[in-house]
Amino acid sequence: MKLVFFTLSRLAQLLPVLLGITFVAFFLLRVMPGDPATLMLGSRGTPEDIAALTRQLGLDRPLSAQYLSFLSDIARGSFGRSIAYKAQIGPLIGERLWPTLALVGFSTVLAVAMTVPLAMLTAVRRGGVLDHLVKIFFVVAMSMPGFWLGVLLILLFAIVIPIFPVSGYGDDFLTRLHHLVLPATIIALGTAALTIRSLRSSIVAVLGADYIDTARAKGMPERIVLWHHVFRNSLTSTISVLAVHTSWVVGGTVVIETVFGIPGLGSLLVSSISARDYPMVQGLTLTFAVLVVSINLLADVAYALVDPRVSLS
Amino acid sequence: MAKHESVSAIIAKCGLAGLLMSGSVCATASAATLRLGVAGDALTVDPIASSDNPSIWTELLIYDQLVRPSKDGTTLVPGIAESWTVAPDGKEFRFKLRADAKFSDGQPVTAADVSFSLKRAAGEKSEWGRFFRPITSYEIIDDHTIAMKLDKPFTPMLNNLAMFSASILPSKLVEAQGAAFFEHPIGSGPFVLKNWSRGQSQDFVKNAFYWEKGKPSIDGARIEIVPEDNSRVLKLKAGELDAIVGIPFNQADTLKSDPNINVTVATVFRVDMVQLNTTKKPFNDSRVRQALNYAVDKNALVKGVLRGNGTVANSAMPVMAYHNTDLKPYPLDLVKAKALLAEAGLPNGFKTTMLVAAGDVTQRQAATVIQADLKKIGVEVELQTIEGSSQFGTTKSGNYEMSLSYATSDTIDPDQSVGFLVVNPERANAYHTQWKNERLNELYAQERTTPDGELRSKMFKEIEVLAHDGAPFIFLYNPSSPYASRKNITGFKVMPTSNYDLTDVVIK
Repeated sequence: MKLVFFTLSRLAQLLPVLLGITFVAFFLLRVMPGDPATLMLGSRGTPEDIAALTRQLGLDRPLSAQYLSFLSDIARGSFGRSIAYKAQIGPLIGERLWPTLALVGFSTVLAVAMTVPLAMLTAVRRGGVLDHLVKIFFVVAMSMPGFWLGVLLILLFAIVIPIFPVSGYGDDFLTRLHHLVLPATIIALGTAALTIRSLRSSIVAVLGADYIDTARAKGMPERIVLWHHVFRNSLTSTISVLAVHTSWVVGGTVVIETVFGIPGLGSLLVSSISARDYPMVQGLTLTFAVLVVSINLLADVAYALVDPRVSLS
Repeated sequence: MAKHESVSAIIAKCGLAGLLMSGSVCATASAATLRLGVAGDALTVDPIASSDNPSIWTELLIYDQLVRPSKDGTTLVPGIAESWTVAPDGKEFRFKLRADAKFSDGQPVTAADVSFSLKRAAGEKSEWGRFFRPITSYEIIDDHTIAMKLDKPFTPMLNNLAMFSASILPSKLVEAQGAAFFEHPIGSGPFVLKNWSRGQSQDFVKNAFYWEKGKPSIDGARIEIVPEDNSRVLKLKAGELDAIVGIPFNQADTLKSDPNINVTVATVFRVDMVQLNTTKKPFNDSRVRQALNYAVDKNALVKGVLRGNGTVANSAMPVMAYHNTDLKPYPLDLVKAKALLAEAGLPNGFKTTMLVAAGDVTQRQAATVIQADLKKIGVEVELQTIEGSSQFGTTKSGNYEMSLSYATSDTIDPDQSVGFLVVNPERANAYHTQWKNERLNELYAQERTTPDGELRSKMFKEIEVLAHDGAPFIFLYNPSSPYASRKNITGFKVMPTSNYDLTDVVIK
């Protein structure tokens, strides 16, 4: 009950944030040079044709009126019509939302799966060979640009050893999972590089705490000391790092989406900006904002779950 | 077909692994479905509301037009009209439709559909209205015969009717369904769009009612959207695709060495140039503009940047019908270039800026070469990278000095390109250079009412000479477009208008 109330009140607090984002997105787009009518008509556009199309698109109205009608569309649960696609924006975004969510979700799961055992092992045996190897490996992985690493992995695992497809998204759950392994791994490596460092240093700090000595002194098995006392108490800062990084990944998947041909939101945003598809960019900005905000909300809930001192209010 | 294949046939085609894997995996590979990789997805399949290549290419698979460009792009051949006549005064076109032409739902294509579709294309909602408004009235003579009247002769009309925007739609369905029609479009073209996962793929099956007997020979096609050039090339190499279009010049050679792949170079209607803002000093002086043309080594650009995939441009026009082949490009002549600059009072050259589209590797390479070439005559060019979509608006507003750009043609008639590139006043005022030549304007007005033939040819040739001498651009090159298919594919062809033809594709 508390959790539900907490979530709802946080969501209510978000409204002004989202409103601010729509405002900035709306007016920033309008100050960019280039307008959709000129771009659409290109070489064949006479000034009259362009003026007629601008009027037809409703872009000749005052900016304030356009902004208000955008807000009223949103209030009615619609993003309006795309200029480039000539169709309702909601379903278009919906179609592209799942590949991005799948990619972000899959990569987060992979990152967590790498982080937990590696951070624990390197913290417990700090200074050992594995500790150094992990450090070197992830520094290298993080310093390599995603698109370049992507092309390398494609060459290795799709051409030389053809076990994964070169690119694409697949048509059903299993083929999609298969298609997403390489791109999700690349994103996960970047995330894990940060979270392993963070979790490892927290664990090292907690290992030196008095209550750990106490737990050991009273004869508690090492396994329980490590997983129950050390691990759980080390998690909070890593949750923040994971949340911040995942929020960043949501908006930054475009490069990986392009390299691997995944029909996600990032590539839609880039092409919509190029086409000056104002309503679509506005809708996407709002969608991204909601996603980022939701991730942070999830992180807040996760804090409360691992740390009883954090209260949900 | 695949359903009735014997087990041994499947093994023969796909190997034992194909049989062991689920049968459907192999069936998609062996049933005659072409898997084609392209860079971008269509936005819409409404022919009057499209101007991007992916939408246009998709529409040309689904719909028919009355006439269509021949495969070499030099003339028009019958489409859904089996024959046509033009009145001697050029003011009436009469088309006879094929009696056996049917939409993919089995309904016949009638004169009423033609009149409806072309009126729609000329209508207020159309982005291509100007191309069809010269037709002032339609007369349906019978179900398969239609006459179109013009107030005054307009020679490019027939070419405009070959454009995707003149696609013939089933009038009853479009009227009944409105915009929803384009979610499940019906046309009389060779293929039917069966499934469309936006941003990912389009699945086509062949139109069982298609009028061209025995075509298409494939059962269907899957167009996959692979935005990244490298990935597209790799997918072809890995056998995940059967054919791809849009190969970067530096990858074409590597692909050629792959024994499983055929690389072909398509000649397309495109010209690359540097726009010169003739309203700004010193570009208002034709000697300066000519000097720049003499100073750029176009052969080196074709060799180095295009890797040989193109020819040096002699004027501002794509190489197409009525092209002036006698006109020699500006040769590389630094002495002459310097002399012209000195004559114009700039013996030490000058400083200027050039807009270059961001994210286009070829353009960036070309810009660097041009910059180095011009430095040799004392012209210091500062490159200004600009987001591609802003470039057109920026040059249009006149807020530039030089801008590296290109132009393509949607029709096989040079009228469209001439009007855009060198006529002023016209819709782009000589592609934003504001260069003006009265004689050229006169010729443009005349060629539009002159019937096709020797006289019209002479006019276009003179137009090219005038543009060449006036030099509102640095004329660079006519690039061609490499595309590739795996060795078991024959008949895959990219047309001069850049769209691909799939009707003759055979998968062995």
